[in-house]
Amino acid sequence: MGIMLDQLESLRLSLLKAVSDAASMGELEEIETKFLGRKGELTAILRQLGTIPVEERKVVGSRANEVKMEGEAAIADRRQVFATSAHAEIADTDWADVTEPGVRPPKGHLHPVSQAIREITKIFDHVGFSRVRHPEVDWDWFAFESLNMPKEHPARDEWETFFVDAPETKQGRMVLTPHTSNSQVRELLLGELPIRMINIAKCYRRQIDVTHVPVFHQFEGLYVDKDVSITHLRGVLDYFAKSYFGPDRVTRLRPHHFRFTEPSFEIDVSCGVCGGTGLLNGAKCRTCKRGWLELGGAGMVHPNVLKAGGVDPKVYSGFAFGWGIERTASMKSGTKLDDIRILYKNDIRFLEQF
Amino acid sequence: MNSLVSYNWLKHYVDLKGITPEEFARKMSLCGPAVEKIVPRDELLQNVVVGKLLDVGPHPNADKLRVCMVDVGEKAPTQIVCGGSNLEVGQFVALAKVGARVKWHGEGEPVTLEAAKLRGVESFGMICGANEIGLAEAFPHEEKEIVDLGKELGATVALKPGMPIADLLDLAGDVVMDIEVTGNRVDAMGMIGMAREASAILNRKMLWKPAKKLPKPSTVDRKPLAIKIHDKELCHRYMGVRVAGLKNGPSPWWLKQRLISAGLNPISLLVDITNYVLLEYAQPMHVFDVARLRVKGKSPELHARRAKAGESMVALDGKSYDLDEKTLVIADAEGPVAVAGIMGGEHSGAYEDTTDVIFECASFDQVSVRRTSRRLNLYSDSQLRFEKGLSAEGIPFAMAQAIELACELGGGTVVAVEDVYPTKPKARTFSVSTKEVEARMGVKVPAATQKKTLQNLGFKVTSSGSMLKATTPWWREYDIEDGVDLIEEIARIYGYGNIPAILPVGELPPRPTDTEVVLEDRVKEIAKGAGLTECYSYSFVSKALFEKSLHSPDRAFKVLNPLTEEFVIMRTTIAPSLLQVVADNQERFREQSLFEVANAYLVQQGYHELPNESLELACAYFGEGDLFKKAKGFMEHLLEELGVPGISWKRVSEQGFWHSGRTIQVFKGDILLATIGEVAPNVLVNFKIDGRVAMVHGYLEEIFRVAGHGASYTPPSAFPESRRDLAVVVDTRTEYAKMEHVIVGIDSLIASVEWFDTYQGKGLPEGKKSVAMHITFASDARTLTTEEVDTLMEKIQKTLKTSFGAEMR
Repeated sequence: MGIMLDQLESLRLSLLKAVSDAASMGELEEIETKFLGRKGELTAILRQLGTIPVEERKVVGSRANEVKMEGEAAIADRRQVFATSAHAEIADTDWADVTEPGVRPPKGHLHPVSQAIREITKIFDHVGFSRVRHPEVDWDWFAFESLNMPKEHPARDEWETFFVDAPETKQGRMVLTPHTSNSQVRELLLGELPIRMINIAKCYRRQIDVTHVPVFHQFEGLYVDKDVSITHLRGVLDYFAKSYFGPDRVTRLRPHHFRFTEPSFEIDVSCGVCGGTGLLNGAKCRTCKRGWLELGGAGMVHPNVLKAGGVDPKVYSGFAFGWGIERTASMKSGTKLDDIRILYKNDIRFLEQF
Repeated sequence: MNSLVSYNWLKHYVDLKGITPEEFARKMSLCGPAVEKIVPRDELLQNVVVGKLLDVGPHPNADKLRVCMVDVGEKAPTQIVCGGSNLEVGQFVALAKVGARVKWHGEGEPVTLEAAKLRGVESFGMICGANEIGLAEAFPHEEKEIVDLGKELGATVALKPGMPIADLLDLAGDVVMDIEVTGNRVDAMGMIGMAREASAILNRKMLWKPAKKLPKPSTVDRKPLAIKIHDKELCHRYMGVRVAGLKNGPSPWWLKQRLISAGLNPISLLVDITNYVLLEYAQPMHVFDVARLRVKGKSPELHARRAKAGESMVALDGKSYDLDEKTLVIADAEGPVAVAGIMGGEHSGAYEDTTDVIFECASFDQVSVRRTSRRLNLYSDSQLRFEKGLSAEGIPFAMAQAIELACELGGGTVVAVEDVYPTKPKARTFSVSTKEVEARMGVKVPAATQKKTLQNLGFKVTSSGSMLKATTPWWREYDIEDGVDLIEEIARIYGYGNIPAILPVGELPPRPTDTEVVLEDRVKEIAKGAGLTECYSYSFVSKALFEKSLHSPDRAFKVLNPLTEEFVIMRTTIAPSLLQVVADNQERFREQSLFEVANAYLVQQGYHELPNESLELACAYFGEGDLFKKAKGFMEHLLEELGVPGISWKRVSEQGFWHSGRTIQVFKGDILLATIGEVAPNVLVNFKIDGRVAMVHGYLEEIFRVAGHGASYTPPSAFPESRRDLAVVVDTRTEYAKMEHVIVGIDSLIASVEWFDTYQGKGLPEGKKSVAMHITFASDARTLTTEEVDTLMEKIQKTLKTSFGAEMR
């Protein structure tokens, strides 16, 4: 037994020396095979186990195992050293100038109007408003008459609204919709109640200057159900303002006048620049009017509109709201567009910024 | 409509004691007219006082400057160096002391005055020109002239050196509010109407008392006046009061400053009175000089009638207007002297020598006024109010006020009163249930509060059970037209800010989001991801744009009243607009990848039907490289992303917008999904585009109809596939798609053919090209042997040879 233990000790010493002397990963592998491999020296020693008494085998066996583990650990440590130094070398041998810019996929751009449409759609989707489509060119009846707007209303003048060269029908003249509100009665007439609708579409008005374009986008929200009150309108608008502009923003309603809602409101959102105080560093805030920014119009759907849509105003009530996408977008980005027409000029220098 | 309101003036009509302008603004804005701005009237008058010029002497070092000694009510006079051109000893001037903030020459931001040496002489302040202290409107003057207070204010105001100018002019502590009044509330455009609003909203007492009733002219004084309404539809009431023995001239300061506060310039007493009443009552008035009216017989006469063809009139703005039968005019015995409700004639107005006048106070049809104004392109404060709808019932109040002022300030006597009022409208009564009010508001409001609110707003209210019956006050004749309008009145005075915000709960709507909307967004995202930049163009285009892109503008909806010729045709394709964008940007951007998604407006059966609003996609590639392949590749990518399998391609070689040799269309069955091609060279010339352009014109509605149906699962084959490459030399005109079609048809073991290169040029004969492709062989049932694949390859080569004369490389 003593001889075998001596053999093991001498193997252990030469293994450790060989490991510490090894100069490369390759040598290390050879050492491992030579000492600990299937046909290696340790195996050779263990083959002699049969020649010694059974009770001694245990002692030698356990010692052999210790030697094996020590050897393996030493090899692993040494391997780690080689790996690290090899790594250090590639920093030199495989160097690249990583400060050069990357190869990018082609960069496209979504128009700010599209971005706003997407965001608004998503916000209202969260509270159950489905986005639907209604005509952008429509009959007078949907654009005006059914919205409680009398024949002589100024919006129906040729100075304000575009008319289409088409024969007049039972539903009146064909118009380029001056607002998205034509979708109200169209949606009501589908008769699928309750209604939570968002309609975003192109609108047309006979104005072109720094704050007006003849083609623009509006969104129209319509909510019709039983027992709808101003509280609900406030709830939805507040939710929108907080989602779109930020959680610290609040809304307020002011009396306003629209033919197709009663009561009618102007919606203000608190100014994000001065925090709704109207003052910035002691001076008047230039972004807002006394702490508030005008967002758009809203109101409780006029009973005459519900009637025109075949809905009984004694049973159902609702609210509607809507305003310009372009305006909303420019309010959010904080980039006040000096001239709104730039949105439709398609100057790539502008478009590439979005 | 915005209205400028002096807070101190408003206080004469409603008790606002203890309410600051800020507080007023906040509360009013939430319940009624919105206060948008508050501007102090005495901002530039701090430390500006009355000074009396004791001495005006020469400046030792400057010809144009004077050295003045000014009494400012202190023990010693103040020395001021001044360059004013109208300085005189004994004059009362506006003196800005050291510390005052003034605007140099009326421009820029205010600066604070300091004691200074001007060309070597000390000066302790400044003698001001009116524009330097914000009084240019009050005291218009020449450059370099200083305010001569004695001359400007006349004997009516006592001047005392040292008195603050703000006190002297009654501007101290006053502010002007810029208030937005909604179009339905023209009554609130007047100070009295605004006071009524304030009274109801702030729960304060009205202080306004109407003027004394019109005096009846005594028999001694009476003079003739004839008034006739010829068109009762367009003129609802016409009241004329003739006042004689007047002296016209400048108005007293108090009247002037009120006009100025509202943004109007004082002109002369008689004109100022009509403007003052306009501001107080929102009721426009006019004044005719009897001596300047053309009279037949004894009596001056005024006719409210339609103009006759060929009549014209020079208005107060000095311009001549041609009138027609649609226009209501006020005419004297010979012809028009005013465009009714819009503007008086230049000739018959009040001037300095005027002594005998007729004041007009009338009610005209709002629509007629609006349309006439637009037709003549003639606008005025009067027209702005009439077109919003003014009750005829306010006329006597306004007239009484005007006459009282004319008699008091102008020394006149009423000599004739005529009031033609064919049909007096009945006050309207509406009802609403208090429960309905609560239901709409979503909060509890006691019935008594509801009733009181309406009463405070001037309604006469009776109640029975839960019903309120309210009779509209005359000044709300036009805007209250339904019981539901009463809900608004109660709710707004209750305060919208007091109504809580609650997100609605309840059943979700049955209607789903339009799939087209979802897919449209997807298309935009795919395009953006593919490196395209999105454009937005107008839906209407010029005839010229369509013509130069060889599209016919004939079968398209046209705008009847376009803004310009640029915006006439409702576009039936969105491609030309995008090509124009390429042209507009080509100087700066020699590489462009653009897209737009928008509706085209297509004529369906005819013009009696609404257009088919067909969603289209257009893409444009401009610049280097194989543009056609970029365009086609994008379309392939898009269709794949949207899940449209089983498409087919067909070459198009028509002459027109598209290049007849480089255009293809993609179909699903018989349905055309898109055209992809280069733009015809002659079209590019028309657009002045230097370079090639490839475009995609996609019909998204058709694409969406077949989108998303392609996804189905086939288990991956358990057996390996074999891939071989093949290069064949064929005529350049041999189309790859045809070869692919033939190869796939040879054997079911041929799984796919994939193009990877085409070569032409060196090493190949003229008119030949080499086309290289990957061919994949596979079977679901077994692993193919090399021999099998070899045999198939031979078969392919043979077939290509017979069908296309292909040589192997």
